[in-house]
Amino acid sequence: MSEATRKLKVTVLAADNLYKRELFRMPDPFVVLTVDGAQTKTTKALKRTLSPYWNESFEVQVKPTSVITAQVFDQRKFKKRGQGFLGVINVQISQHINVQAGGETMVTQDLKNSNNSDPVQGRLVMQFNIAAEDPIRHPHPNSRNGTPLPTASASPSPPPPPRAQAGSVSRNHTASSLSSASVGAVAAAATTAATATASTTAAAPPPASASSASAARANAQNTTTSGDALPQGWEQRIDHLGRVYYVDHNTRTTTWRRPQASGNAPAIEPSDTERQQHMNRTLPDTGNSSTPSATGRATPSGGTASSGSSLGPLPSGWEQRFTPEGRPYFVNHIARTTTWDDPRMRGNQAPNGNRAAAVAGIAGQTASRLGPLPSGWEMRLTAQGRVYFVDHNTKTTTWDDPRLPSNLDQNVPQYKRDFRRKYIYFRSQAAMRPVPGQCHIKVSRDNIIEHSYNEIMRLSVTELKKRLMIKFDGEDGLDYGGVSREFFFLLSHEMFNPQYCLFEYSAHDTYTLQINPHSGINPEHLNYFRFIGRTMGLAIFHRRFLDAFFTSSFYKMILKKPVTLEDMQSVDADIYRSLKWTLENDISDMGFTFTVDDDRFGERVEVELKPGGKDIDVTEENKEEFVNLSIQYRVCDRIKEQFEAFQAGFHELIPEDLIQVFDERELELLIGGLAEIDMDDWKKHTDYRGYTESDQVVQWFWKFVGEMDSEHQTRLLQFTTGTSRIPVNGFKDLQGSDGPRRFTIEKSGDIVALPKSHTCFNRIDLPPYTDYNTLASKLTLAIENTVGFAQE
Amino acid sequence: MALKRINKELKDLSQDPPTTCSAGPIGEDLFHWQATIMGPKDSPYNGGVFFLSIHFPTDYPFKPPKITFTTKIYHPNINSNGSICLDILKDQWSPALTISKVLLSICSLLTDPNPDDPLVPEIAHIYKTDRHRYESIAKEWTQKYACK
Repeated sequence: MSEATRKLKVTVLAADNLYKRELFRMPDPFVVLTVDGAQTKTTKALKRTLSPYWNESFEVQVKPTSVITAQVFDQRKFKKRGQGFLGVINVQISQHINVQAGGETMVTQDLKNSNNSDPVQGRLVMQFNIAAEDPIRHPHPNSRNGTPLPTASASPSPPPPPRAQAGSVSRNHTASSLSSASVGAVAAAATTAATATASTTAAAPPPASASSASAARANAQNTTTSGDALPQGWEQRIDHLGRVYYVDHNTRTTTWRRPQASGNAPAIEPSDTERQQHMNRTLPDTGNSSTPSATGRATPSGGTASSGSSLGPLPSGWEQRFTPEGRPYFVNHIARTTTWDDPRMRGNQAPNGNRAAAVAGIAGQTASRLGPLPSGWEMRLTAQGRVYFVDHNTKTTTWDDPRLPSNLDQNVPQYKRDFRRKYIYFRSQAAMRPVPGQCHIKVSRDNIIEHSYNEIMRLSVTELKKRLMIKFDGEDGLDYGGVSREFFFLLSHEMFNPQYCLFEYSAHDTYTLQINPHSGINPEHLNYFRFIGRTMGLAIFHRRFLDAFFTSSFYKMILKKPVTLEDMQSVDADIYRSLKWTLENDISDMGFTFTVDDDRFGERVEVELKPGGKDIDVTEENKEEFVNLSIQYRVCDRIKEQFEAFQAGFHELIPEDLIQVFDERELELLIGGLAEIDMDDWKKHTDYRGYTESDQVVQWFWKFVGEMDSEHQTRLLQFTTGTSRIPVNGFKDLQGSDGPRRFTIEKSGDIVALPKSHTCFNRIDLPPYTDYNTLASKLTLAIENTVGFAQE
Repeated sequence: MALKRINKELKDLSQDPPTTCSAGPIGEDLFHWQATIMGPKDSPYNGGVFFLSIHFPTDYPFKPPKITFTTKIYHPNINSNGSICLDILKDQWSPALTISKVLLSICSLLTDPNPDDPLVPEIAHIYKTDRHRYESIAKEWTQKYACK
């Protein structure tokens, strides 16, 4: 359906009190305006001011649902690596002006941060003007006179409510909207409330306080009557954070997405994309463990989500929910259990009853050869009759028979099985088992770092090992996992925000973190590092992920592995090259001494790498020692105190010997989780050197990568770029050591050699292999053995 | 170590100054220099005197110096901010290079622009397709900004 659009005159008037990012000069601010991500307009840049006055007008086409985004940039810095961001505001048109009726209004909003961490301040003032006589572009017979209309008649052709749509469309829609709703963790509460039979009001808004709820309702009233068209039974509301969400009274669900299928959803902000990415992170163990039963159930029940009508309502006390992947599961609120099995399907399972017998049969056969399963393990069968194993100790499942050595299956690359095995071992250890009981932590979103610090440092380690129940101030969300996921997502953004001077971005790119050697500017810094260590341990203990990625040397230090010259690459590429050059060239007359210069907030300090180093010349004989000491200093010594504090906190929850079963890349996955990689985006933003996209080898490469599971793909990404992190806006924003560097495949190397990588430049050297199998095996071998060789 | 090295370079420059350029600290701060380059004879920059600013990083010579033109110049590898696109100032830097060597490299960049790796694609395009026009604009800019 097409919504009526109106011509809106936007006047970007002025901003004041912008953030002064540079010490000595003022920014040259300009504004980029977009409507729903399109119709980009730009003001001229004003010279050197923190209070620019543009007074420029633009004409744009808007719908009642449109969101106007105005970003302020510093023109001088804008060209460099996406710097120069001075703030953004997002304006929901309908909140300020009645789009159908027209009028004029002034909007003043505080500038907000987007996804990066640069500080932002100040306000932006804009004026909106819609001419009352302005003809409507898609005129609606009833709205010519511009008077507000009741909702029902305002919608030219109300689409059927999602519930009424049968089959897969409806299923997908509901699933995706629900998963995005649970992201906010707020809507989950509404869902729970709405479904639980005991709950009083069906229309309980998520966490909003009474006053803001009524304000929101008033707002929603405003927008619905202003002629936008929600399907019947839907209502638009605004939560206490000013976010718009939608209530479907038909199904008693809420969603962030506008229920039209026409793609008019409000622009999703980067942070939401990021959040989404974060929430979708998994580990191979969890991903795989759900597979057996997933295949088992999905087949018999068909579209489970849409089966509500065919199977009748759920038994009382039961609720249907969806995983982030959109897979339905069922919550029994009475027994406080969850299951993949639809309780309404119980009766139909009788024909499968003979499966128990089948299991017994297989178990009997194998037990005779391999002996009994370890204690706490059970063998089960999927609906297809494939054997899988349940470890009741860790509540995990696996295809692998725990009695078999790990290297039996030659078809599966070794490391993966090892990581999964390591992970299962790690989880099965007594120190990693939750303590019975609940650990309640209450924080406010506005002051999450202070509150979390107080709570997490106050509680004893035993307390922290109990089931986490996180609660945000003023919100009713019950922590079934969603809230604590959100908690760690938000907290990791704060803790590692370079503004706090505890961590800084590495010189390598703009998103891997390292400890800030000058964190001592905050006299409390060591307490904070201990807190961050505890929090990281807490996240790992409770299987939550942090939205943070670190330099390889940081992971290595956690694992107590020696730091090498290669690790210097991600800390500082220039220094890496110079130290490498030092090893490879004659440096006798260079005048080097055993010292290193450190910049401490503008003050240059010469530090001796060993006692008396100022007077010891670096020679061909001792240069290796010089390089090693330099690395040791630059990577470890400068942050020794901080790291020790961090480590102390970390090991309170995760014992040293247990974490050491992983290597540094596995540790990254353990902390950050595995992301779902968008292959099309990856392919689209890849450059070639010596190859073209149509070359056979390149085709093979993408075919092979496309067939990898997400863990492998992540490993390939780690191999090539040095981190598993994907930029928020996708592969087009991939950064190298010298600015934006897209993923690059270069024709290089002998066809008997392995592919090599240059993590500074996000480049993989792919020899022109002559057949698919060679490519597959060489590439697999290379990414599995990235430590020590094959990487430059 | 950086200070020691910078002092050494300063001494070398005064003992054996290059013919077409000069460099030295601006004030007290030895990490901030100014340099001049005479426009090479066989280039449209002939007759001009170009000023550059040099900042030594704390980790010098393990990191390259930051050099920018302060005089406006029309060149495919130098942009309006004065930034220079030169590999030895980036990933091809090595501690064996000195300010004197870098300035000589910049001189030869003025004589032989590298339009295949341009910082200003418009100028590179003109350089490649209409050499005559490029030379006349470059001369005009030299007259206007570098001859005072």
